[in-house]
Amino acid sequence: MKTEKHTDQPSITRMSTRLVVASLALFTCLASAADFDDCYKIEDIKLPDGVPPEVGGIDFAPDGSFFVVLRRGDVLKASPSNDAKGFDWHLFATGFHNGCGIDAVSPTKIRITQMADMIEVEDTDKDGKADSYTRFASGWGLSGNYHETNTLTKDGKGGYFLSIGTASHAGPTFEHVLGEYSAFGRRGRNYSSVKWKGWILHADAQGNVTPVASGFRMANGIYTDPDGNLWSGDNQGDWKAITPLYFVEKGHFYGHPSSLNWDPAWAGKDPMLTFRNDMDAYNKARTKAVVELPNKEINRSAGEPMELPRNGSFGPFAGQLLIPDNNGERISRVMLEKVNGHFQGAVTQFIQNHGLRSGNHRLRFSPDGKQLYVGQTVRGWGTPAEGLQRITWKGGVPFDIESFKITKKGFKLTFTKDLPDKLTDKKSWDFSSFTVQPKWTYGSDNENERKHEVTDFKVTGKRSVEVELQDFVAGKIYRLDLPKDLKSADDKSPLQNRLAFYTANELPK
Amino acid sequence: MRKTLLLLALGLQPLCAEQLLTYDNRPLGKADEPLIMSTYLPDPGLDAAVFAHHHNSGPAPKYNPTKGEDVPGEEKPIAAVAAAYAVSFGPALAYTFDSTECRPLYAWQGGFLDMTSYWGDQQRGSRVSFDYIPRLVGNMFYKTSGKHPVSIGGKNVDELGGPSYVGYKLEKGVPRFQFKAGGHLVSIMIKPSTKEQSYEAEVTCDPPAPLAWKEDGVSAEGNGKLSFTYSGKTLASYQGYKVKIDLRKANAQAGEQLFNNYGCIACHSLDGSKGHGPSVGGLADSMVELEGEGVKPVKADREYLLESIKTPNAKIVKGYPPNYMPPFGIPDVEYDSLVMFIQSLAKPE
Repeated sequence: MKTEKHTDQPSITRMSTRLVVASLALFTCLASAADFDDCYKIEDIKLPDGVPPEVGGIDFAPDGSFFVVLRRGDVLKASPSNDAKGFDWHLFATGFHNGCGIDAVSPTKIRITQMADMIEVEDTDKDGKADSYTRFASGWGLSGNYHETNTLTKDGKGGYFLSIGTASHAGPTFEHVLGEYSAFGRRGRNYSSVKWKGWILHADAQGNVTPVASGFRMANGIYTDPDGNLWSGDNQGDWKAITPLYFVEKGHFYGHPSSLNWDPAWAGKDPMLTFRNDMDAYNKARTKAVVELPNKEINRSAGEPMELPRNGSFGPFAGQLLIPDNNGERISRVMLEKVNGHFQGAVTQFIQNHGLRSGNHRLRFSPDGKQLYVGQTVRGWGTPAEGLQRITWKGGVPFDIESFKITKKGFKLTFTKDLPDKLTDKKSWDFSSFTVQPKWTYGSDNENERKHEVTDFKVTGKRSVEVELQDFVAGKIYRLDLPKDLKSADDKSPLQNRLAFYTANELPK
Repeated sequence: MRKTLLLLALGLQPLCAEQLLTYDNRPLGKADEPLIMSTYLPDPGLDAAVFAHHHNSGPAPKYNPTKGEDVPGEEKPIAAVAAAYAVSFGPALAYTFDSTECRPLYAWQGGFLDMTSYWGDQQRGSRVSFDYIPRLVGNMFYKTSGKHPVSIGGKNVDELGGPSYVGYKLEKGVPRFQFKAGGHLVSIMIKPSTKEQSYEAEVTCDPPAPLAWKEDGVSAEGNGKLSFTYSGKTLASYQGYKVKIDLRKANAQAGEQLFNNYGCIACHSLDGSKGHGPSVGGLADSMVELEGEGVKPVKADREYLLESIKTPNAKIVKGYPPNYMPPFGIPDVEYDSLVMFIQSLAKPE
């Protein structure tokens, strides 16, 4: 989906008369400028009066009915309406402890991960309300800490991947816990004192649970893409330098040592102390993020990743990954590629502000792929930001980076619209780089910061350039700052995002 | 009270004529429509035998996240129930059913739960840091003890390999909890009784076998099915969550309680270590570097500390994002107490 067909879209009618006249006069054969509001509409979806919209999870059933699990325990169901304030909500089920993962199996059957287990909920007498609540999967512990929430993604084979959150030092554990207790695992800032905290597990279609990968601090959002690849975010903290996006593979360790207390290979050893005393061993043992999302600039806390529909039903950037920011009014956009057989890539923003609330952590496209639903909650964290919003693509195409790829000596970038003169000038291209190092203390400062001069520059098309950079090496995060006030050459659309980062784990061989 | 949402305005589609959980932190079910909640619950002094299928935690060495090492001192675990369901029939009856032990733990009348410490206050948000277990409301008249009350074919559930939780089914809204033991599916349904301080219980096992329920004050038997009415007397009274902070005038001790209650501690450490927000350890009277080109450092005096709590985005500490901390909108005496607490913190080593 790369073509722009917006001449017959309603967005045009919202254009200011002046601009329309100007574009008609000057560029009669071209489309009109598209600003954010010509491309996307953000609406608040109203829940029933008095209901705290603390959204744990959202999902569409195959018939298009929409389910929301709220963190106090209720599950509401509605048929989505064109009127964001006119959803016909009714109570489908209740009684979940911080339900943060939901799969709507059918209009009358859902599965929910709560703190202690995963429950299958069914309306067996078809009166609109669930009457059967049976345990579908369990096997992880529960220490009593407030932080141990869990979420799910379907595995495509009738089962699930489950992300099991760690405990926080800002809360206690209970005297009597569920499952085995580990004194080694109890220590640290975020910790894994009971089983499988900080792990991603697999539950097969019968609910049998097995471990998949370790080293997560709080992967509040995991996602299986249409190719069956498993993606996970995490957030900055101890042993997490900045916000990572991981490509999750069985048996890998993703960097937070507390979870290793449940790895039989570490029996009797203290993984946290071992790695604290030997950072080289730590860096060898861990699988790095495929894309790092700098905290302040891009994403403070990754929610559930979600791929933009490949068929273009939601407009440009088809097939790219969205990462909601649980602590910012933004959703980031990741451009992946495979280099030497491994995923890596770049990140910029998809939406920042424009009425988007903070607390973003769950994403679902409507069954027709034309609307993106966003579930929000931060309860107990930062500025209260709870709610449910919906983003509709209006047909316009924003001026933005469409692809950001690595070469042996630099990058090649393509934009959604024609390059303004300024971007055909090498001097406008400002690249710098830095590294980060996760460790036992909170987060990481940028290390080894430096500028990279553009040593060679080629305009390779109306919308694309190739740059070669001075001292271009692997193992760094490259930052691109684009100039202010850029407008596309063809339709004078303003550039939406000026900042992008490429995580260069490898250079192409 | 749990609010029933009614049609509020003419011409609008009715929203829900249903019981919904709202900002009301004292939810309550109804006799004909009980409310079931899954939440952390208080442990009103249950004996250790009741937790036969839990594991014991223990005091953990105090850990300093800055040093990445254990330091002298220990963190003690708290008494609470990790994974039980709480059921409310309104003032007539409330009880909890533990999904690990597969048995009722305690029952009370005259109220249900006060969730304030866990759900937080609508305006102020935030769970209470180390003290978030919901509180009971009402008079407790039943508290289990000892080993599992159910025996099948003369063998206690524990002699049959222990219970394995299945789930619950609603029968006219009333939950019937189910678990497996020794090849039998056991169900337990508890309902209000017309007698005071009482509940009625029905227990079944499938395939049917001689079934017995024995614990302090109850003994009942049947084949594949039994029922009994438990009657007790008041064991304890609970009034829900009360903030016990002396705020007659601003003081550092109240400030410390507020610091925990509002969840400040989740982002601002006391020991100088980095978190979502700057540490308050050793902050008072230090020089603070701020975000923004050419912005001069400021001294963290009383005025600065007060401003940082009241209007958190007025000045942004270098390296931290703006619009992260909420303005709390609390009384002046609370602001002053928080400042006094921060000023009382010694500089970290």
